[in-house]
Amino acid sequence: MSIETLSLAPIYLPLLGAALILVCKSFFPTKIRRLAEYMGTILGLGLPPVIVLFLYPTLQQQGSIDLVIGSYAPSIGINFSFDGLSILMILLAACVTIPTWIYSRKVGPAHSNFTALVLIQNAAISAISMTSDLFNLFVCLEVMGVVAYVLIASSQKGNAVHASFSYLMFSSSAMVFFLLGVFGLYRLTGSLSYDGITQGLAGLGPSEQKTALFSLVLLVVPILLRVAVMPLSLWLIDAHSKAPHAVSALLSGVLLKIPLFALIRVLHLTPLASGMGLPISWAGTITALVAVLSALAQSDAKKLLAYHSISQIGYVVSAWGLALHTGLETQAGALLLAASLFHAFSHALFKALLFLSIGTTTDCSGNRDVYTLRGANHRLRQEGEVLPLTMLCYFIAALSITALPPFNGFFSKTLLTYSLKGGWQYAILSVAGAGTVASFMKLSRIFLPSKQPFEPIVKESLPRFPFTLHLGLSILAALCVLTGIFAPNLIFFIGTLLGGAYALDYGNQFFFSASNLLKTLYTLFGGIALFALAVSKPGSKVLYRLKAMKSSFSDLFLGFAAAIAALLLMLLQH
Amino acid sequence: MKALTRMKIMLTILILGLAVLPVLLSDTPWPVQARDYLFETAKSDTGADNTVSAIYLGYRAMDTLGETLVLLVSITGTMSILINLGRNKVDEESIGFSLEPEKLPRHSLRTNLIEVVASKLGPIVLLFGLYVMLYGHISPGGGFQGGVIVASGIVFLALGTELKTKLTNTIVLSRIESLSFLFLVLASISGVFFESGFFGNPVKSLQNISPNFIILLNIIIGMKVGTSIAVMCIAMMGGSHDH
Amino acid sequence: MIIERILIFLLFIIGFAAIVAMPNIIKKIFGLNLMNAAVVLLFILEGSRIGDQAPILGDGVKHIVDPIPQALMLTAIVIGVCVSALALALAVRLYKATGSLDINVITKRLESEH
Repeated sequence: MSIETLSLAPIYLPLLGAALILVCKSFFPTKIRRLAEYMGTILGLGLPPVIVLFLYPTLQQQGSIDLVIGSYAPSIGINFSFDGLSILMILLAACVTIPTWIYSRKVGPAHSNFTALVLIQNAAISAISMTSDLFNLFVCLEVMGVVAYVLIASSQKGNAVHASFSYLMFSSSAMVFFLLGVFGLYRLTGSLSYDGITQGLAGLGPSEQKTALFSLVLLVVPILLRVAVMPLSLWLIDAHSKAPHAVSALLSGVLLKIPLFALIRVLHLTPLASGMGLPISWAGTITALVAVLSALAQSDAKKLLAYHSISQIGYVVSAWGLALHTGLETQAGALLLAASLFHAFSHALFKALLFLSIGTTTDCSGNRDVYTLRGANHRLRQEGEVLPLTMLCYFIAALSITALPPFNGFFSKTLLTYSLKGGWQYAILSVAGAGTVASFMKLSRIFLPSKQPFEPIVKESLPRFPFTLHLGLSILAALCVLTGIFAPNLIFFIGTLLGGAYALDYGNQFFFSASNLLKTLYTLFGGIALFALAVSKPGSKVLYRLKAMKSSFSDLFLGFAAAIAALLLMLLQH
Repeated sequence: MKALTRMKIMLTILILGLAVLPVLLSDTPWPVQARDYLFETAKSDTGADNTVSAIYLGYRAMDTLGETLVLLVSITGTMSILINLGRNKVDEESIGFSLEPEKLPRHSLRTNLIEVVASKLGPIVLLFGLYVMLYGHISPGGGFQGGVIVASGIVFLALGTELKTKLTNTIVLSRIESLSFLFLVLASISGVFFESGFFGNPVKSLQNISPNFIILLNIIIGMKVGTSIAVMCIAMMGGSHDH
Repeated sequence: MIIERILIFLLFIIGFAAIVAMPNIIKKIFGLNLMNAAVVLLFILEGSRIGDQAPILGDGVKHIVDPIPQALMLTAIVIGVCVSALALALAVRLYKATGSLDINVITKRLESEH
């Protein structure tokens, strides 16, 4: 078993697990199906992270494992390249998928199809993180996308199906533009692998450089659509808020980040492309602010969380874009990229925890409206929960996202805003941080004691508080706390995975320095002030007007056109 | 439609048309490196005369695996939506694809002529589909094309009268489908154990490469595609052929 | 030479216009199919310019066309068909839930139910 085949294990092990589950589903009765599900999950979700960590020492020696699938010639076969970034993405996917799957055993979609689909999605994620070939990226993005459409529509309710339909039409038409980009690049260079394209693009004349630029923009914007940067983020609100809870956790946690980091390799195809870093970074910063203000206006709990997903991804994209702009070889660039990766990792953990805990709470209370729901913990206890574990997990996640120590959000946001120090982006992101505090104060009001007498609600036949639900929530909460406590070690690990030219040594003295703690305190006070403003009369009128703005189907495409136009105009000025 | 919406739509179409036009109209001569390389080495690397088959089942077999995954996932999704169409409560562990005989009223277009001709043509179309599947390595064809023809043959059999075969039974078809997916994954891993890497030809060490691996992949993919699409079509028709 | 590409461009734009401008969801799905068809034709047409024989090796075959676009488009066609099938199933479900095939009416009815 050579190193190359071992590095491809995160792709074929989940597929093998999914195949076994599907075969047992067709042939055998229910008991053997359950057994097959557990075996398939251990094989497909449990083994790959272990194998990936096992390969880490080899990676430290070699830098990256390059191979061609099927051992054909590199010019004609599919090239794969397994490096530190791949390890990180596979670990991120595993850390979110395994607790979410455990949660879904009794509460969420719990049939063999769901498990098989989650395994196939993990295989696609692993393939995207390793691929060095443009058409293979297209195919794997489509696999990931189709699994997302099916999972969103799996609850069969009209709202979910509508959300899935809009996302499907938008994303599939964008991928046709991606194919046109592939056409342009293949015509210019004769190769589909990243190395071949880089070589081909290096020796082109000026008019052909222009065509290459158009093709690159047509490649980049469909990928950014899946990352949901404004103006491409209108699909996310419905898709993440109307899906089943476990699916929302998976979508927000994993699927928003993987395409972003796969884009790094695409943007290194030619030096022209790193000019895209700065506009994308600014788009991310504006996204962070606008999304948080929209979140403050929402009344539905899951829609509020969906807007927060957009906002936090805005943080990640700001640092990411700036990292590409300054260049990954410089110290500033490496710090920016590590900060954005660490924030993506933390966000995956606390956002999944938020969706799962809020989902459980709103299910038990039968009410998703943040303005009218009160006394949620009382209702949870009424449904059979002995310890207030759901409320505890919710508060751990809420404290993480509002960046309070000692949870991972504090460390990741502090590092990220520090790396963006000086300039407008720092200021805008700080205001967005205050906005996050304000909207989470608004959301946490559901746990205040209720003023009205308790009304009995209709129970469904499923038991509400099985062990697996608490287990899933606790694993995520524990990971939030652990990644916070061990944050300096984690940042150092990320630094070495990214190439390790500069050691990222940010210890507790840095995070708990006076200036950082003071900044956290200012953000907290700013958030409280903003919250007070939001619940006051004029504030709530403004927010009501904000909430009433609806977007139609064609607005999605207008955003797409706007993004392409903006990138083209900025790039053609050089 | 309001004027503002109309303007937004015109603007969208205009911008995207202008963005796409330079890529479409570029005058660079089409590169010949790939064609020349394949002309020399396709036969010796994979054993196939059809260079297109050599590409998508040999050099770029990973893309074919991804395509099969898209097919699998979308058929799973379509089936679960169609099955739950007639029910109000979502059934979580419905056994395979055994559908309630949702007896659709017999449409006036489904005449005696269609039923008789379809049932007689069905086996011929199946035979043709199998031919296209098996000869994919030396003539245009292959797993996907042959599989779709096999699917249409099965649909013909289901449309016809008098024939209640196992071939149109959705449970049998879904069993064949899941088995062929398992075989596809196993075939792709087999290269690992024969030292030609993931998805490599397991008999690469021999002097004269025979196209056996490609024929095997064609059969597996053909079975998978044929049975999935047939199950979906039969489900859409009302699943009237359970046992 | 250029007239063919202009026609393919028109096909592409018509497909895209159908997705954005038509309110009927079945027509939107047809628009997606048209866009896919346009891109497939483009790849295969442009790839065929460098030769004049089908890419099947044999005796007397010397100038084959580029087989790579054809292989890529096999994959793209299958993916397009599968996504269309899923979209059509979703459309049927939406019709069953709201009784209409117009996207604006569907959105309004689903909101008012909630």
